[in-house]
Amino acid sequence: MIRIEYQTQRLSLRFFMVMLVLFLIQTGFGLLLAAQHIDPTLLSGVFNFNVVRAEHTNLGILWILSGFIATILFVGPLLSKRELASPWLIKFLFYALLAVVLWNMGMQLLAQEGIAGWWLGQPWLQEGLEYLEAGRIADIVILVGFAILCYVVLRTFPPMREWNEIHWGLGIGVLALTTVWVFGLFFIERLDLSEYFRWYVVHYWVEGVWEVIHISLVGFLVVLMFGANVKSVGYAVFWGISLVWLSGLLGNAHHYFWIGTPEFWQFWGSLFSALEPLPLIFCFWHIYLDAHHDRKPIANKPAFAFLLGSVVLEQVGAGILGFTMTFALTNVWSHGTWITLSHAHLALFGTFGMLGLAAAYYAVPLMRGVQSFDQRLGTLSFWLVFTGMLGLAFAFAIGGTVQVFVYRTLGLDWFGGDVAPAMEVAKNMVPIFGLVFTMGVALLVFDLLTIGHRGSVENSDEALVGTMENAIITPTTGWRRLLTGWEAGLWLLSMWLFGAIITLGLLSFNLSDVQSGSPVFPYLMAAIGYPGLFLVTLLFVWRFLASLNARSVGVMTLRSDAGPLVEPAE
Amino acid sequence: MSCKPGEPCEEGKKRRTAFGVLGLMALIFIALSFMSFLDSRGQVVPSGVEYAGFDAVEGKRIFQAYNCMGCHTIVGNGAYLGPDLTNIYETAGPAWLEAFLPSAGSWPTRTAVQVQLQKPAVAADVNVASIDAYLDKYPAAAERIIRRSGHATIMPNLPFRTGEVAKLIAFMKYTSQMDTEGWPPVPKVAGLTFPHATPMPAAAVAAVITAPAESSQAADLDDAITRGAVLVEDNGCTACHSAGTDKVVGPGWGGLFGHEALLGDGSTVTVDDTYLTEAIMDPDAQIAAGFEAGAMPPYADILEADEVAAIVAYIRSLGGEGQ
Repeated sequence: MIRIEYQTQRLSLRFFMVMLVLFLIQTGFGLLLAAQHIDPTLLSGVFNFNVVRAEHTNLGILWILSGFIATILFVGPLLSKRELASPWLIKFLFYALLAVVLWNMGMQLLAQEGIAGWWLGQPWLQEGLEYLEAGRIADIVILVGFAILCYVVLRTFPPMREWNEIHWGLGIGVLALTTVWVFGLFFIERLDLSEYFRWYVVHYWVEGVWEVIHISLVGFLVVLMFGANVKSVGYAVFWGISLVWLSGLLGNAHHYFWIGTPEFWQFWGSLFSALEPLPLIFCFWHIYLDAHHDRKPIANKPAFAFLLGSVVLEQVGAGILGFTMTFALTNVWSHGTWITLSHAHLALFGTFGMLGLAAAYYAVPLMRGVQSFDQRLGTLSFWLVFTGMLGLAFAFAIGGTVQVFVYRTLGLDWFGGDVAPAMEVAKNMVPIFGLVFTMGVALLVFDLLTIGHRGSVENSDEALVGTMENAIITPTTGWRRLLTGWEAGLWLLSMWLFGAIITLGLLSFNLSDVQSGSPVFPYLMAAIGYPGLFLVTLLFVWRFLASLNARSVGVMTLRSDAGPLVEPAE
Repeated sequence: MSCKPGEPCEEGKKRRTAFGVLGLMALIFIALSFMSFLDSRGQVVPSGVEYAGFDAVEGKRIFQAYNCMGCHTIVGNGAYLGPDLTNIYETAGPAWLEAFLPSAGSWPTRTAVQVQLQKPAVAADVNVASIDAYLDKYPAAAERIIRRSGHATIMPNLPFRTGEVAKLIAFMKYTSQMDTEGWPPVPKVAGLTFPHATPMPAAAVAAVITAPAESSQAADLDDAITRGAVLVEDNGCTACHSAGTDKVVGPGWGGLFGHEALLGDGSTVTVDDTYLTEAIMDPDAQIAAGFEAGAMPPYADILEADEVAAIVAYIRSLGGEGQ
């Protein structure tokens, strides 16, 4: 197994633990939201929906950021071949993070009293803007935190002439993370302008900065897990990042269709954000290639499962579902409905959340000095959160399709009386899949918190076989046979086929037949498209993992030969 | 787009090219953004929109302070528990919003909306002679009254301070004037005729929407207390006042009668028939401590003297020391 070479890598452990705890709390708030959607009087006046939602979205952002910080701190010394700079600053960053999380959670309650803490024209306590609910005090602490992260990362990295592509990706990533945040630090009077700048933070984080950090970290985790060559992975990282920014920078225009900005954004947004799946397809393809560059078994199954989940859900949630609603002609219907929720949950948790969990499953056992651990809990929790989240996305998508028809096409706007009853089935599906998801979360949080503290591996079959150095590659057939590039391509193609059906369904709201009150076509397309897409996704990941697990018959210890970790770029 | 170990990949050159293309994209984006906010485009700005002496900028601060976006959407952004608020001013009008917002936990009745027409700000904005003309002009208000009046909403009552409701209305007036490129799409059908509208309101729609409220039909109730109990429902009083002792928006009526009420100026007054009558006809004449002037509209021009007497009798019946 890889030993921890650099002691400052251990500083990442506390950030991973905070990530897990915040994730669990966020999931709890999510369940509460689902319950409040079904019974809006639940905790009304005590813990209003908008407060619970603000906690849910803010914690989502904060735990994903914790995961990024943790992963960057863990790989930083490996990338740089030296200890992290200024460990005391990192410890300070940790306490600042805890303080800002607690402070912000408390401040959100003030929305019930209409207190924003206006002073000098700025809302200091909370500011009631979707995703940017944190008040200015928390904003400034977060800005300082980002600055510390930039400082630590850039001081730890080698001189710039020695940077490889992963250094570039992470370096640009943390700098842009900080820069973009600045646009959220001002109260803006005009609604169109304030929404314009709000998307600077939200869109450029998610579809710019976070994706860049994501690609870089996925790349480096692949290097660590498979011993892939850092130069060739880095080259792919470079192309991924280039494509993200070529499409994503102008792709932000898809948020400017209906907020009071001019019509020409509809052209630019539809065109460029339709290109946004390109880097995701690229990333998807590369995880296939890198996972197959040799036939060695997967040493750490949960870590790889979450990494694969991250790349696949990025493809499905961000790439395909994002694509379906990115055209002005489809977005005019999906905008402001549950269809957006389906995309947001799958993309945000899938892409970034799962990356943090993958990194945690990789790094935590190493830092705890665990030789081998029972991977069944982690694998089970992966399947629970994966199917739970696909189910949630399905419920939101179906509810959203009904909502578009009832609310937009029929113009019924009584949410308590007309819209909610129409969406009832979907509203009831949300907590069901939410519970599946929550079970997975509880399980994985328990597993990761206690790995290395639970004693040695139980006498599981898998663990017993374990100590052989080389894999016995048993020829397998059927579901567990080798996944070829052709087959992976076919899976991807069928995902996009269902994506096309979903897009047609959304487009069909423009038909005069639908507008005169017949929902048959959009309902049919949604009923084929969404379940089809999510089932293919589920089966593909199952197939991918089954084929990889077939390699590992006989070998269960963590890798003993890590291979050359880092080579400087040419 | 792959590079095997050992091959020359010219990363540096490619990276510089990528930065160049990125810069080009940024230039296009900045140019488009610049054009988006030119004055010549004629987009409405909040500092130029006023309601009741407040501009929409003040309204935006209140909108953010209560995190309205956490349940509603505005220009389609926000949460999805309640309706989009972009055009609510245009469709339901200021009188309906004035009636609804202070007691958001229940849907306003026709009278509750009617009484708001007396407010100078509302009168200046809507420019109609009667509640019937108002409901003609703002069909969403009419639909809300027909289908929901007096029922509980799924929105909690919010602790609005003086002026905050007017500021919010100023903000919604601004958003309804914004050019949002045709969003949200306008429905092509009468949604209320579809079975998705629950309860089926077809009969209600067919009825003349300007039919007077039921209050005048309650005349045959000779028992004043029973009649008062009907009147407080019909006139939307119960949106703000409970029959118990708890404060909803205004004071609860339970045990109120005969009670020594502390007024805002420090003096006390006994809650008797005279006081209650004045509190209904002209609520701002004497404001109880802990409540704000202007929260309750005057009912002098809405209710007949016998109706006020019936309501007073009903409140008296809810108990208190002076029975």
